[in-house]
Amino acid sequence: MIEQFLAFFGALMDQTGLAHFWWGNAVMIAVGGVMIYLAVAKGYEPLLLVGIGFSCIIANVPGSDLIQPGGLFHYAYQGVQLLVVPPLIFFGVGAMTDFSPMIANPKLVILGAAAHLGIFVALIGAKLLGFTLNEAGAIGIIGGADGPMAIFMTIKLAPHLLPQISVAAYSYMALMPLIQPPVMKLLTTEDERRIRMKQSRQVTRLEKIAFPIVIGIIVNLFFPPVAPLITMLMLGNLFREVLVVNRLAKTAANELMNVIIIVLTVAIGSTMQADRFLTVDTIEIVGLGLVAFVFGTGSGVVGAKIMNLFLKEKINPLLGSAGIASVPIAARVSHNVALEYDKENYLIYHAMGPNLAGVFGTAISGAIMLALLGVK
Amino acid sequence: MTMPDSLYGAVMLSLIDFFASLVMITGIGVVLALFPLLNRIGKVDEDALRKSQH
Repeated sequence: MIEQFLAFFGALMDQTGLAHFWWGNAVMIAVGGVMIYLAVAKGYEPLLLVGIGFSCIIANVPGSDLIQPGGLFHYAYQGVQLLVVPPLIFFGVGAMTDFSPMIANPKLVILGAAAHLGIFVALIGAKLLGFTLNEAGAIGIIGGADGPMAIFMTIKLAPHLLPQISVAAYSYMALMPLIQPPVMKLLTTEDERRIRMKQSRQVTRLEKIAFPIVIGIIVNLFFPPVAPLITMLMLGNLFREVLVVNRLAKTAANELMNVIIIVLTVAIGSTMQADRFLTVDTIEIVGLGLVAFVFGTGSGVVGAKIMNLFLKEKINPLLGSAGIASVPIAARVSHNVALEYDKENYLIYHAMGPNLAGVFGTAISGAIMLALLGVK
Repeated sequence: MTMPDSLYGAVMLSLIDFFASLVMITGIGVVLALFPLLNRIGKVDEDALRKSQH
């Protein structure tokens, strides 16, 4: 009787998640909890970290049907894996973004490429650590500080690294206000940080409407591997700038974007299962991501200083670090660091130019990388 | 031809990609520098656009 009871009880236990729970799950549940804490108590990227943290917790409760085929989190991940979600994020971002700062000051666009040295430092570092070239390329793109692009490239180059790379990319983007300023200050003098920028010219509506169309053509012509993302960015922006379809622009920028953020965050969090995440590779990728951000910030600042050697009207080198993308966080960091040294030096509009160019810089780097690696 | 999966390949990929990106984005900058010329074509009536919501 007792033996039968124990056998039934054992069988019952086997069907619960408890029997398959190991210490790795506990660690990852704690990681998810920390993410929610950072979002709620510290205000670090709550739109992203709440969803990622919660789905990370659920993904580490063994037996959760949500992450199995048939579960909603599983289908959310399918949306990411099939590259449906990243272009839709770009669509929403396009509808939210005013590209005037980039159009008004084209010379600052170069900083969008200069700030991407970090991609290649991380790529070479990853290769030295024994990753394959495709994996190294995906890890390097973390340095582009562009979440959807990092996901896009990882799915193309090394889909098995998606959880680590997406978590590293989004975490460092949230931590940019802590990572960038020391590097920016190290590479600039106080006088340089006080340089004031001349007011930019007004960009007309005709230019704003032409911009997404012209860029859409250029990107599809020269960079087809990443055209799905940038084309959708431009479509969203065209909706915004033509002024005659405001309801579509608002939907793309608000309701659709919110839905996509929910899908994206649960998709990323649900891939953070302990057996896949608690590896040496993860530690290496997180370390390389930090290296990429530090070198990207530094190369942007140095790039701006090199430009100053040739420019009659000097630019504030703090704008260089904004070229790392991560709109608008990096631009805000440039602005805030400049304000520390001159309370009336408002760099935000100027910093948005290289910041937006950084999105194109990452996309172009990604497209060239895919072409050189022979990946379509 | 694709890059060899080696440190040499990683360095070559990085060098080519970095400088090609710089050239390409400079090209976009040049195109943007030409944008003010568009204003010679004419002017868009923003008020009329705002009124014609669909």
